[in-house]
Amino acid sequence: MKLKRYIVFFLFGLVLLMWLSCDVDHGLAPLPGKLKATVVFRNEPPDDTEGIYLTVAPQFPPRAINMMYQSPNSLPIDQDTVVQEIDLPYGHYEAVSLWWYSNDTESNLADILAIPLDWTNQLLPRQFDITEDEPVFEITLYANWSKMDRDASVQGTIHFSDDFPTNTDITAIAAFSLIPENSLQYLTMMKAIDFSVGPESRNWNNKEKTFDYTLPVRHGSIQWIAVFWLPQHANLTEVQFISSYVDTTTGIPIRLSLGEDETITGADLYVNWADVPNAEFDDEEK
Amino acid sequence: MKKNKAQVFLSLILLVHAGNSVFAQEAVLRGVVTDRSNGIALPGANVQVLGTVKGSSCDIKGQYYVELPPGMYDIRVSMISYRTFTQKHVLLQPGQDYKLNVELEETPIEFDPIVVMAGKTKQRLDEAPVSITVVTARDMERRNPTNLIEALESAPGIHFIGDQINIRGSTGYTFGVGNKVLLLLDGVPVYASDTGQFNWDMLPPLDIEQIEVLKGAGSTLWGASALGGVVNVITKTPSEQGKLMFAWSGGWYDKPYYEEWEWSGQNKAHYNRFDASYSKRYGRLGVQLSVGSFKSTGYQELGDFDKYNLTSKIDYRFKNSIHWTVYSAFSFIDRGFFVQWKGPNDPYEVDETNLDNYAQTNQLTLYTKLAIPFSAKFAMNFRASLVRSLMGNQFGESDDFNPAIGQGLEGQANWIPHANHTISLGVQYQMDTGNTEYTGSHKGYFLGPYLQDEWKIKENLRSTLGVRYDRYQLVGGEKEDLFSPRFGINWQPWSTTAFRASVGSGFRAATIMERFLELSIMNFKIIKNEDLRSESSWAFDVGWRQYLTENWNTDVSLFDNEYKDLIEAHLDLIRGQIQFRNLEDVRIRGIEFTSNAAWPFVWLNREWKPGLQLSATAMDHEDLKWHEPLNYRPKLIGTVKVMMQTGNLEMQADYRYASRIEEVKIYPINERVPMKFVDIRFAYTYRSLKFQLGVNNLLQYNYAPMESNLMPPRTVTAGLQGVF
Repeated sequence: MKLKRYIVFFLFGLVLLMWLSCDVDHGLAPLPGKLKATVVFRNEPPDDTEGIYLTVAPQFPPRAINMMYQSPNSLPIDQDTVVQEIDLPYGHYEAVSLWWYSNDTESNLADILAIPLDWTNQLLPRQFDITEDEPVFEITLYANWSKMDRDASVQGTIHFSDDFPTNTDITAIAAFSLIPENSLQYLTMMKAIDFSVGPESRNWNNKEKTFDYTLPVRHGSIQWIAVFWLPQHANLTEVQFISSYVDTTTGIPIRLSLGEDETITGADLYVNWADVPNAEFDDEEK
Repeated sequence: MKKNKAQVFLSLILLVHAGNSVFAQEAVLRGVVTDRSNGIALPGANVQVLGTVKGSSCDIKGQYYVELPPGMYDIRVSMISYRTFTQKHVLLQPGQDYKLNVELEETPIEFDPIVVMAGKTKQRLDEAPVSITVVTARDMERRNPTNLIEALESAPGIHFIGDQINIRGSTGYTFGVGNKVLLLLDGVPVYASDTGQFNWDMLPPLDIEQIEVLKGAGSTLWGASALGGVVNVITKTPSEQGKLMFAWSGGWYDKPYYEEWEWSGQNKAHYNRFDASYSKRYGRLGVQLSVGSFKSTGYQELGDFDKYNLTSKIDYRFKNSIHWTVYSAFSFIDRGFFVQWKGPNDPYEVDETNLDNYAQTNQLTLYTKLAIPFSAKFAMNFRASLVRSLMGNQFGESDDFNPAIGQGLEGQANWIPHANHTISLGVQYQMDTGNTEYTGSHKGYFLGPYLQDEWKIKENLRSTLGVRYDRYQLVGGEKEDLFSPRFGINWQPWSTTAFRASVGSGFRAATIMERFLELSIMNFKIIKNEDLRSESSWAFDVGWRQYLTENWNTDVSLFDNEYKDLIEAHLDLIRGQIQFRNLEDVRIRGIEFTSNAAWPFVWLNREWKPGLQLSATAMDHEDLKWHEPLNYRPKLIGTVKVMMQTGNLEMQADYRYASRIEEVKIYPINERVPMKFVDIRFAYTYRSLKFQLGVNNLLQYNYAPMESNLMPPRTVTAGLQGVF
């Protein structure tokens, strides 16, 4: 008889806990908002397409590629129009973009296939808010596959004054259709970028301290070729410009015009590490 | 020819040993060990003669028998679920037949279990100079775990991120590669030799006698990989009488708490685990054989698996106490790999393109040990081991992986030159190989001699001093020399108080995967780092263990683990490349508190045995170069376990907490929350059967320790265990 009482007591406790569970913290919860993007493609995707990803950045420019919400996998690339949704928390978002990933090269910042701009200020990406009143935001992106068809190239040599700084994380060379004037244009005007600049590359000549580069680009105008450097532990917004392809007598950037399948050579650049702020060297090297 | 050599070697050993016996007129210590409450004999109770390498286990009638040279001895008798008993100053005269009968008292919480982690010899937990946590067989029985993770996850100072164990924040999460903790099976390293990964399903829980967890560096005795701690899984020995054990456990996953998260497989999500084991001694030969099957639909897409275990243990006790053991464990796993959820609003699903991400993995662990007590004061132990793992295909590309082979040899001498000194001297060799399409073929080996002295300065004051030197050689690559000293002290000014302090070092060489892996997963690319250096650590630990009553103790520990060249996964923030890199200087320091209490009382003519176990570990972890917290490590973890036992009925409720993880690697933008899990269990014992019913994650808490991976929802569990 007493045992029954204990069992009733335990069951009562269990029911109490179950009841409490209805009103306690349940940890992670579904995201209440949504971006609904309609992507309209033009032309055909390049053969080396690995996939394309839709991203949403709360901050622009993002500090890093993982500071963006991203579609979990590639959007279909065999359709003319694709609708993709991304779940989002309430908040303000400063950019939506479509990134192309290649089978052949590292994912890179020149591979932004589409980034809608603000109607009123073309220097800013399209911004939007997800709120309780308006939890769904719809947008259309126009993606022209031909942007990724790199049918020409620029070649040259980067001459470094010395070995790389010990705190080097990334050194890159990029080509732009215009000289960028703001952070958005660094992305939208970029035609190609190569992150492999460094002593690990087979294009590095340690005796001469030179790096031979080749940038595959889409034909057309190139107004600026520049070398960038990122110290260890820095984020994307801290990339430093350290050299550009200029007329050595006037210091003015040299403009190039490339036809289809054309290769321009001799676009050489010079980097003096002593001019680079934050560059660190071993005491012995100094 | 080989057989002849082996026979000659064994004959020599037996001859030397026999010689030792002939010259002394030995005394005999014998007796019966029984349960104090009912007088029933306790087969398997352990009798240890302190200050010697001698001991015995009780037979089916609870009887033990030890031959010893004349002298004064302290005798310790221990058994799982019973309070350890020590009889001091037993004087044995030449030729005397001394009888010592012992009654052991059953206790709901084992306050002072016997451990081997501290010094590779048996020792009371209260006398250890280092911080150790023990998961006893009784804890295991209460929790009815389906694998080693469930057995360990509520132990003080331990926290799992995915399947990677953190002892006081040691490992974080390194994508399943390169644990900073050493996993041992009966003292034998059992990590996959290419990834350093652990197979937490390597043996059925039925086989486990006890799990000991050493907190902090332990390379001096245990060698490579004992950087942030050591987990030693101790298996059961064959039973004196024929014993058939079985355990079944089943679980039914509740549907997701939020309607938005519902998925197609939620209504049939369940698991089933069944294990059976038989063991018996046939004279000098003991045999144990276990089989296990663990099947689950998973609580999420790609969470389904079939797992099988087959283990065997054979031990043979030669005349003159020579003891030979062979253990083998084979596990086969066919499972899906849930890498990341489809999206925050589809957390139980994966993207359609990943639905075929399945792989088969298996592991064979084999070791043999030979223990030769040449005299009461000198013994030699030898072991050889093989771990063959095909576990590297966690990335779902199984065709291009080959088995990784780890081979180990160790010889160790235990010598007691003086009543107050126990010296352990040994040498360990370990060869690890790995060969996959994504790493190439590589080999590396360790060779390390070590020496340790446990010095009983006074009856209540003990110190440990040890040193080890290791040579690590990556075949065709660099070599490293590693030096691992260790010092520890334990002082018990009163019988209720123990202070301990230790400083020790640990090291771990980068695994083949960390160094050489090149692979693309989804839109991330892993790139190799051949210049990766070995990581090392210094662990400082000061502890105070206090018995407030006979059934209530507390333990406070201050720790400071200083890591050098800690290997962590680095994410290139622009290209999305992952590479394992060294963090130059890292510190994890903190305070750990545990308290164990039992207050048995009689009420309504019924004996009630409530118990309470509390633990909290507060950690401050920092990358000293960049002054940032480390990835995937909470700053506070804690557990509360409440138990009640009356008659045949038991109840236990657990609460497990971990503070919100501040830094993660892949998706820092995802929301993160603290961990708050409540589990409850009821058990009823009827004769040889134990029925269990429980609910894990009772309050339906949704927690993702690493990004895009939810832990299981509320799960109703049932279990049935039997011993015949």
